[in-house]
Amino acid sequence: MSTVIPTTKLHLNKREVTFVVPLYITALVAVVSVLISFLFWRAGSIPGTAGWVSGSQSNPGILYSLAGFLVYLGVQSVATTFPFALTLGATRRGFAGGTVLWAVLVSAYLAVVFAVLMTIEVQTGHWFSDFYVFDVYVLGAGDLGRLLPIVFLGTLSMLTIGGVFGGAWVRFGARGPQFIGVGVGLLLVLALIVLIPSAEDILAAFQLWWLAVAAVIVIALSSLGTWRLLRTAIVR
Amino acid sequence: MTNAIEIDAVTRHFGRVHALDNISFTVPEHSIVGLLGRNGAGKTTVMSIMAGQDRPTSGHVRVAGHDPFEHAATLAQISYVRDNQRYPDDYRLHHVVRIAPDFAPHWSEDIATELVEGFRIPAKTPIKKMSRGQLSSVAIVLGLASRAPVTLLDEPYLGLDVTGRAFFHRVLLRDYGEHPRTVVFSTHLIDESASLFDRVVIMDAGRLVLDANSDEASESAWVMSGATNAVTQLIGTANVLSTSTVGGLMSATGSGELDTETRALADDLRVHINRASLQQLVAAYGADRAASDTIDEDRRA
Repeated sequence: MSTVIPTTKLHLNKREVTFVVPLYITALVAVVSVLISFLFWRAGSIPGTAGWVSGSQSNPGILYSLAGFLVYLGVQSVATTFPFALTLGATRRGFAGGTVLWAVLVSAYLAVVFAVLMTIEVQTGHWFSDFYVFDVYVLGAGDLGRLLPIVFLGTLSMLTIGGVFGGAWVRFGARGPQFIGVGVGLLLVLALIVLIPSAEDILAAFQLWWLAVAAVIVIALSSLGTWRLLRTAIVR
Repeated sequence: MTNAIEIDAVTRHFGRVHALDNISFTVPEHSIVGLLGRNGAGKTTVMSIMAGQDRPTSGHVRVAGHDPFEHAATLAQISYVRDNQRYPDDYRLHHVVRIAPDFAPHWSEDIATELVEGFRIPAKTPIKKMSRGQLSSVAIVLGLASRAPVTLLDEPYLGLDVTGRAFFHRVLLRDYGEHPRTVVFSTHLIDESASLFDRVVIMDAGRLVLDANSDEASESAWVMSGATNAVTQLIGTANVLSTSTVGGLMSATGSGELDTETRALADDLRVHINRASLQQLVAAYGADRAASDTIDEDRRA
């Protein structure tokens, strides 16, 4: 008997938070983006011009606003759900597997939702008014082939990063997330120290798929880290 | 009789704290066992280990023949809700009763509904905003409606009003009769629960101090009360667990058979000897220098 599927259902049990809140946030970002566009319009920018399109597509608000929520969702998926999952009879192994499966489902859901909204946006001439919310550079600038992996891998990265922080909290208390945060920060600084002399060459050779590979590595390390932390965690 | 739970030489240390110190006992299948003792005695720790939520530092635990830690088939047979159970953010009652059947193969919707209505658990209040009694009610719903073959109830009464406690007793006994299971039950309201127990396990400071049939436990325990010098004379060779002196009067709680000579002497000295209640026995085992006038640690061992 595996507890992977019941654990996934346990996460999906909070339907509003999982499926509806991301849409609320997306809608809020859309409203704010439209208001900012109005601001530019009133300031003299003309909808449909090259400057308007370029400026609108440079808006990364959708990324920033959802990222915070997704990391929170990842943290609580472990920090507050793990003790209850143990009470219900989940194994640590089953919980870790079910949590990753849930994160994959949420990521796929958001990727599909964003793909549909982006398609509608493009097909309606950007909501009939040249308003750009989903057809933006950070989401692939209208290219579905880019948007789907960006949203899927981006969401999965945020959820699993949150998960490993939640796992560290369950395992070590408040010191756990601090330790991971400081550790990751130090690694990044060390990597920069090593790579900065070659930064120009690296940027010149940069390929988008590098980000995909980096996301896959982050997802794998975070998921494995969560499992390793929970394997020895006890709830008191 | 088959044992549902076997605890064998289990020790659990948390750093320098010895939460459990080499304890061993068994829980017979289809029995209700009272796990009793003071706060910090180790009751929750041993229950966590039985439930596979923790592992002993040394020793072995077997539930339904298996080590429960990470053994999914065994965990599906266990229900254990902590007294300080944490729930996911924003959880309400409907979240709990909707997900529990996915983990509990014997889940009873009828019992869940009966308990929710009987305890008057509010449906719309977030669990984190519930009162202590309402939290206990939710834990009881999980514990009893699961109909788990091994049900571990950790302080199920906390904050429950007297009507709620009586209702819980009634449902527990009725459903236990219809669907026998093994129940381990920790509580401080011992007098109210004593009639439920087939056996009692008393712990103190991480050690097991008594593991006995419920009737035997209280039959072998006594309370002497009378003039201080008379009681002092009588308890000279008895196994005294705790004493209390008020003015010129003394009461002593102890365990073990008292011979006819001692009883006759008690009559002569006008010392009353009564059977100790389970609550008095547990209080006596848990008494220390702060709670008892005199303790003989060697006799308690």
